[in-house]
Amino acid sequence: MSQLSLKRLEKSFNDSRIIKGIDLEVAEGEFVVFVGPSGCGKSTLLRMIAGLEDVTEGQIEISGKVVNDLPPVQRGIAMVFQSYALYPHMTVYENIAFPLRVEKLPQDEVDRRVSAAAKVLQLEPRLKHRPGQLSGGQRQRVAIGRAIVRQPKIFLFDEPLSNLDAALRSEMRIELMELHKRLGSTMIYVTHDQIEAMTMADKIVVLNAGEISQVGSPLDLYHKPDNLFVAGFIGSPKMNFINGKVRSADGSTVTVDLGKLGVLSLPRTSTAVAGQDVTVGIRPEHMQLGSGEFTISTTPNIVEHLGIHTISYSTLPGGENFIGLFEGNPTIEDGKALDMSFAIADAHLFDSRGLAVY
Amino acid sequence: MTSTRSATLFAFALLAPALIYITVIVAYPLVDTIILSFTNAALRPTYDFVGWANYQRIFTAGNFTEVIIRTLIWTFFSVSIKMIIGMFGAVLLNAAVPGQTVFRILTMPPWIVPMAIGIYMWAWMYNGQFGMISGLLQNFGLTNGPVAFLAYGNTAFWATIITDVWIGVPMVTIYFLASMQSIPKDLHEAAWTDGAGRFYRWRRITLPLMLPAIITMSLLSLIATFNSFDIIYILTNGGPSGQTTTMIIDTYKTAMGSRKYGEGAARAVVICIFVSIFCLVYFRAVRKLSQGEAK
Repeated sequence: MSQLSLKRLEKSFNDSRIIKGIDLEVAEGEFVVFVGPSGCGKSTLLRMIAGLEDVTEGQIEISGKVVNDLPPVQRGIAMVFQSYALYPHMTVYENIAFPLRVEKLPQDEVDRRVSAAAKVLQLEPRLKHRPGQLSGGQRQRVAIGRAIVRQPKIFLFDEPLSNLDAALRSEMRIELMELHKRLGSTMIYVTHDQIEAMTMADKIVVLNAGEISQVGSPLDLYHKPDNLFVAGFIGSPKMNFINGKVRSADGSTVTVDLGKLGVLSLPRTSTAVAGQDVTVGIRPEHMQLGSGEFTISTTPNIVEHLGIHTISYSTLPGGENFIGLFEGNPTIEDGKALDMSFAIADAHLFDSRGLAVY
Repeated sequence: MTSTRSATLFAFALLAPALIYITVIVAYPLVDTIILSFTNAALRPTYDFVGWANYQRIFTAGNFTEVIIRTLIWTFFSVSIKMIIGMFGAVLLNAAVPGQTVFRILTMPPWIVPMAIGIYMWAWMYNGQFGMISGLLQNFGLTNGPVAFLAYGNTAFWATIITDVWIGVPMVTIYFLASMQSIPKDLHEAAWTDGAGRFYRWRRITLPLMLPAIITMSLLSLIATFNSFDIIYILTNGGPSGQTTTMIIDTYKTAMGSRKYGEGAARAVVICIFVSIFCLVYFRAVRKLSQGEAK
């Protein structure tokens, strides 16, 4: 049985529909990441699960019980806010103990739970400090500690790492993943950072304009995106898109005319019609230097040498930007023509509605 | 060396307007009052220094101690009621209710209406013959006949406090409201998620985070109320039988009524000492608060 179930969930503010009929099942112990661009409704969805936003239509079930009208505390959730929401006038101990004080638990129980959380989060030496004296990472841990002591069924994280610098963010990412393994709890995590989504999630929910674009494992989304939006959103640098027209389709192969770049034949069982607009997608990391199954001759405008890999940015004859990512430090320079290629098996095809053709 | 000196001179040049202003408006009158308090200055062309005589007289002869106690009681009740109503008003105005802006605007008139007009309005309301309050009490059968609130010591004392509260509450409310709104919404949401009810959140989050604002407003209100002159002067002129005479009214009557400038100045200096003590307590509290936050 799924621990969290969203059924035709809708949220409107006045006349504007923010969440548009979302259906989702989350199994117990899963680490689910809601990812999408700013304004896609991911935080609103999380707040609806938390009980901080009313549900306009649909149902939220937690452990089989409809919780639409229950206050947050009765839903068995704990939430970690983007701003950490620590009480500046209280010590770390009192911040973590806050939910237990609300519950009026006896002092020895409060001590036991706070100590356990502080040990897990390595906050023991900081218990008497106030939030103002802590680093960003420590504040984040205090916020997590406050969630842990409640022993919730589901942890909700609203962009918890977005206020941290890049180094601390990757450190905290690992800490959160370890925490998930240790606690084995269900975690729902909101982020706009697809790297966080790819590295942390068991299941990613890609949201776009209040709707789910695709749900799947990180590698599913990477290798088999359902649509142009997911293909463009997952992966860094983002997937290259080349506009083309179907020249022919025989039920086993679709041949696409890419204009000056040539003609590309892809093994697809699609019943595409000649003349139909399509988009071919190819990830920058699937490009190789030199000739290959499909070769593109181009002149990079900018080349970035990052040591571990090199990135070239060029413009195709059709006006599309094209990125190539190559391992190591190949001798390529901006303004100097080069050939790069990709394997047919790595190419993606999307129809005129932006849906993937497999 | 030269550049350091010119930088210092430049700093003094920038400070000069403020220094001149403080000297002329604050320092000179203060020093002059202190000097005057050691003289027998009155409506004569000359005066003599009399040492501590004025201070001895005000504390031994007459009822100055009684006036001080009355002033402290008057101030205590007025400030406390203003703070309580102000906080209550701020909580109500902060609530997300339809027409919130209208309610916020409606709190302003006592503050906007010129003070003297507001006080005369209250004087009429307190009037026994034509006043609204007396009329209403009679209509509801709560009194047998007209009550002239300003004619009796007890009622006049509370009448002046009520008027002072009416005038002072909007500022306290708006100040508290601003302070309340500066508390991040996330803190309340986090507490609510953890099961804290409205009152619990107010007691454990709102109130402690508003403490600096409460202390500041209390001091400002304390000083303003302690020195409040217009309300009592217009409503009762310190009467009946001096029962609403506070230190500021007493000082005015001594200096301007009896023309005893020296003795009046001594009373003014005592007020000054009281206000200084309030400020000292305030700064200590603020320092303690900021040290507490840093710990």
